[in-house]
This record gives sequence, structure tokens and C-alpha cells, in this order.
Amino acid sequence: MTSDKATAAYEVLSPWAEADPVPLKGLSPRLDTLDGKKIGLLCNSKRAAPLILDATEKLLKQRFPAATVSRFFARSFSVSSLEKDRAQEFDDWLKGVDAVIASVGD
Amino acid sequence: MYDAIYIEGKGRPAATYVFEHFVNDAMSAASSKGMPVIRVVPETVVSESTVVATIEAAINAVFDNVASALTKPLTPDEMSPKSREPENPPRIIFKGTLQEVNRFFYQRGWTDGLPVIPPTGEAVAEMLTGTDLAPDALIEKLEPRLGKATVEKIAVNAVMAGCLPVHMPFLIAGVRLLAASPGCGMMAASTGSFSPFWLINGPGAEDANFRSTYGATSPGDIANASFGRAMGLITKNIRGIRKQVEDMGVLGNPGKYSWVAAENEENSPWEPFHVGRGFKKDETALTLMFPHQYQQMMPFGTDDKGILATVVGSVVPARMGAFAVILTPNNARSLADAGWSKAAVKEYIVKNTVVPEGYYKRLGLDDSKPFDRGNVAAAADKDHIFVASPLDPDPVRVFVFGGFGSWMGFLQGGPPPMTGKVELPADWPQLVKKYKNVVPTYARY
Repeated sequence: MTSDKATAAYEVLSPWAEADPVPLKGLSPRLDTLDGKKIGLLCNSKRAAPLILDATEKLLKQRFPAATVSRFFARSFSVSSLEKDRAQEFDDWLKGVDAVIASVGD
Repeated sequence: MYDAIYIEGKGRPAATYVFEHFVNDAMSAASSKGMPVIRVVPETVVSESTVVATIEAAINAVFDNVASALTKPLTPDEMSPKSREPENPPRIIFKGTLQEVNRFFYQRGWTDGLPVIPPTGEAVAEMLTGTDLAPDALIEKLEPRLGKATVEKIAVNAVMAGCLPVHMPFLIAGVRLLAASPGCGMMAASTGSFSPFWLINGPGAEDANFRSTYGATSPGDIANASFGRAMGLITKNIRGIRKQVEDMGVLGNPGKYSWVAAENEENSPWEPFHVGRGFKKDETALTLMFPHQYQQMMPFGTDDKGILATVVGSVVPARMGAFAVILTPNNARSLADAGWSKAAVKEYIVKNTVVPEGYYKRLGLDDSKPFDRGNVAAAADKDHIFVASPLDPDPVRVFVFGGFGSWMGFLQGGPPPMTGKVELPADWPQLVKKYKNVVPTYARY
């Protein structure tokens, strides 16, 4: 076998799949402050997730005493993509909060 | 990340904690869903950690970043991200020697670390004789990257893995199953190192020389070795799940090289697995399971009592996900001869595999929550290890494969298995004839 590219033996096809450009979406407007706002705390089913939010809630109450919190517990790794039966419940919860801190345990 | 993207789409700002080693994975997921500018907060909480003091310290260290992620004004790019063209390499990607091709592919992360067969136009054309579908036919777009699994792209990866054209129908069916199982993307990327396990049923299995007997899941057969390997390459190169970028399996799993068996239908006393899933006996079918765990057991005894006792006495409460017991033809025959149907075996295992009395208390653990957190129904029945749920109404499966012997096995983990039909091409008999004799002939010594 030669290593001379001029006499190389194999012209090969790419295994890497083509993909279409994905339509891009921007972020939602941010809050001016967390104080006085209702902050949603979302955790998935990974076991570090609620512990991370426990620590977060403590800090929120220390730093922003007028903020309130509301938790949503996913049964799976992702409520929006894997728990279709809870879509309305999740949407209703989102309508009731000003922002969300999510903990996915990873 | 999918939840944060959904939340932003609903008009609410979101900040997501991400373990510092998972930022690449998180951003790949966000880009695939069209939000590459999502705000994440890297932290140092190790995945699955339960140490409260460490978690509190880690969150305390980054809490200002959380507040900032929710309040810092958006940049123009965050408000309206600039279009990013995906990397779409040309069809002919390289020219070189065997060693150069392998080096080129390896350095781009397109292999599993083992050498590959160069996917030349000629080799791919031969692979395409294994299907009636056109090379540009799109089978699926595979998450998370939404890479286009065209017939030709599947064939390129099949050549690299060493497949024969008779394996193409199985690969196409496999791609369809990956897209059909909602949890598959997460399984391939998970810290749990879940690996696809493929069970093949029906006449096409023997036609294509998939092994069902001794060492079915061991190396040595082109079909079992290359089919699973090709699906692994497809996971990298079409789905876009690469090690330590999107695949964050902590320990890893050798099953990711290839983990494939045909059911030993010829020697099983029961109906084949796919028939129990609604397929006809003469149809060829593929079943996909994503276990993280494989355990072999020598049964307490080889009669029905010994075999069943081995299952109900050996499955530990600290388990999760789908379960399948693997029986050899002899194990299955022992049970059938004693009057057990496959359904009765499954029912017995579900009913009698229980959490030993005082188990959690003895270990000094909280028994208020089931360990199998993926099974919400388990919370209502803390005594049983297998609990039927809406997601998994049939929590125990029975596979019959392997040689004549007594060892039995357990596969555990992942979402419930999916089964799909393998569509064979019109000229299947001719194709089988052409490749049927590509088998090893071992010299005696």
C-alpha cells in the first residue's frame, strides 16, 4: 500500500449526515429584577435536581425577600418533550410565574 | 434543555443549571431545537449527587449567575440569533490509502475507534443492492441533530461497519425504530451508558445469518457484529451523538460496539417474541431495547422451580427501567414441560419479585420513594420490584436465545422495548443466495 496521495486507492463518501438549517428563535425579554416576582422552580426526575432547587430557594429568599416561588416536578427527564399528558398542566403553571429556574440534575 | 427552550418559547425567561462538564451536550441540544443562545449556568454539582452540603456550596457559588441570566438585558444576537448553516460536507469527502482514510475518519470523530472499511462509491453501490429504496430516499431525520438518514447515508455507515447488503433492510428498520422511540435520544446520550440491544425475529434473521445460538452476542459473526456496529456509527454520524460531547455516559458500555442476537425460534417451545407483539411468524422484525445492565446467572436449579427462583430471588430493588429475562432453549423447555406458558412465567415474575422485608430500613435508607424513579406507578406499590405502569404495562419480557445450556441472563434499563417490521426487498431470495455462504469455516486442530 502506498502513501502517495497521487496513486491513492480509495475515494470515499462522507458518513456525516446532511441537516437542514433549523429556524432560530430568540430568547424572551428578561426581568428588571427578581424581587417581587414569582419564580418557577422546575426540576426533572434526576435526584440532584430537587436538591439544587432547595439550595436555590434558600438563596432566593435571602437575596430577594419579596420574591415567591412555585415548583413543578417533572416525572421524567423533560416534561415538555416526554410528558404529553401534562402539557396543559405545565402551560398553566408557566402562565402563573414570571421566570423559571430549571434544574435538570446534569 | 428542551424544557428551557419550551419555556422561552412561551414568553418566560429561563435559566438552567448545567453541570460544567455537560455544557457542550446542553448547547448541542439547544442548537438542534433552534435556540443556540439559550442561557445556561454552569455549576459543579456532579450528576446524580445527593450530598446536600456540596450542592449548597456549588449553587451558592453560581447564584449570581442565575440572577443575571434572568435579568441581564438581551444582546441583539440573543434577541434574534444569526442563522448558522449546518456542516454539510461534500458527498466525496476524501481520497487516500486505507490508513489515510482511517486516520481522516477517526480524527473527525466518525468511527468507533476500530478501523473501518473505506466507503468507496463501488462499495456503497453494492450495499445499496440490499434495498429497493432509492439512494436519496429519506428514512428519518434523527434527533438530536436532525441528521438526514437517507438510504445512501445509511449504506455509507454500513460499509464502514463491515455489513453485507443483506443487512440493509435491518438497518433501515433500525433507523425507523430509533425515530419511533421517544426516549431513544436521551438513552444514547445518558450518563447511564444505556446501550441499544437488538433482538431479531422471523425468517430474515436466519437468511442474513444473524446468530441465535451459542455466543449469540459474542464477536465472530458478520451479521451480529456489523449490524450493531453500523447502528452505532449511525448514532454518531447521523444522529450526532458523540462521546463526551453529547453522549455523557459516565462508565461507558461495551454493548455500544454491537449488541445483537436473533431469537432461537427453532428451539424455543413458545411463540417468537415478535408474534407476541402483534407480528406474524413469517414476518421479520427487529426489537430495540436500551439496557444499561447485563447480568448472567447460573440458575439455582434447571427445573422450573430453580429457574423462576433465580429470577425472583436475584433482581435487586435498586434497579430501574425495562427488564428482560434471557432464557436458553433448555431453560424455556424446562418451563414449558412443567406447564408454564410465556405469559404465566411473566405473571409469576411480576407477582413474586418483591422487595425483601425491612430491606431499606436495614440499609439505613429512606423507603418512602421507590428507587425506580422513572416508574410513577411504583410509588403506589412499594412491595413489588416490577410494577406495571401506563408507560410500561408489561414490565417483564422473555427472550429465548443462546446455545444449549443452563446460564440465564437479565437485561435491565431504559424505556420499554419497541418492535418494528423489517421490510425485505423484492429480490431478497437472490440476495440471500449471494451472501448466505459468507460464513467462517473453522479449521480443526
